[in-house]
Amino acid sequence: MAELNEILQNVEIFDGLEKAELDQVAQICRERKLHAGDYLTTQGEAGDELYIVTQGFVEVLLGEGTTPTRVVVNLGAGQIIGEMALLDQGPRSASVRAVDEPTIVQVINRDNFDLLCRGNYHIGYIVMRNIAADLSFKLRHRNLSEMG
Amino acid sequence: MPIYKVSFVIVGGDYPGTIVNLSRPPEVGEKVKLGAQVYRVVEVLNLIPPRGDFHYIHATCRPLQPDEVGNLNN
Repeated sequence: MAELNEILQNVEIFDGLEKAELDQVAQICRERKLHAGDYLTTQGEAGDELYIVTQGFVEVLLGEGTTPTRVVVNLGAGQIIGEMALLDQGPRSASVRAVDEPTIVQVINRDNFDLLCRGNYHIGYIVMRNIAADLSFKLRHRNLSEMG
Repeated sequence: MPIYKVSFVIVGGDYPGTIVNLSRPPEVGEKVKLGAQVYRVVEVLNLIPPRGDFHYIHATCRPLQPDEVGNLNN
């Protein structure tokens, strides 16, 4: 648990949480180990999990239907995936595939996440603000990539 | 301890770029390995003001020529 707390301290969406609050977040995380080429999400499918990359890299792919055709960004340690489906409950907006061997993510289930945020409004406020900032950063990255 | 959230954008290649948290900021002239390829950092700037321990950096990189790849440290 102590090691996981240390990892979570370096994840932007938890920046501003107290140690005891990080403990609460750690309790709803579970680790998933991926092999290179494994898919974490598939574009268009339903999803109810948020992922945090703790080791390795994943690539975010867009395509026609469920067939990925191009990589739009690579995400490494500390980055979150699946936040859109977690917030708006829509289908996955992209496919995500592990690049490194191994790639390790922490998984947070939507129901557990909602329960945590409802039970502690400070956690809810901090995490939601940080998710908004992360989405903003990704949009800035996308804009800069298209200008480049 | 500061954490540098870096948006790497590549000019002149197919690579779509990377977002990653680092323990130190990239420096102009430095080589970085992103995916399978090595790139040269050509520009570094603060993308937005820092908040808490987090610093938000944008780094522009270009692909290396085969004879430039060599050691990652030079």
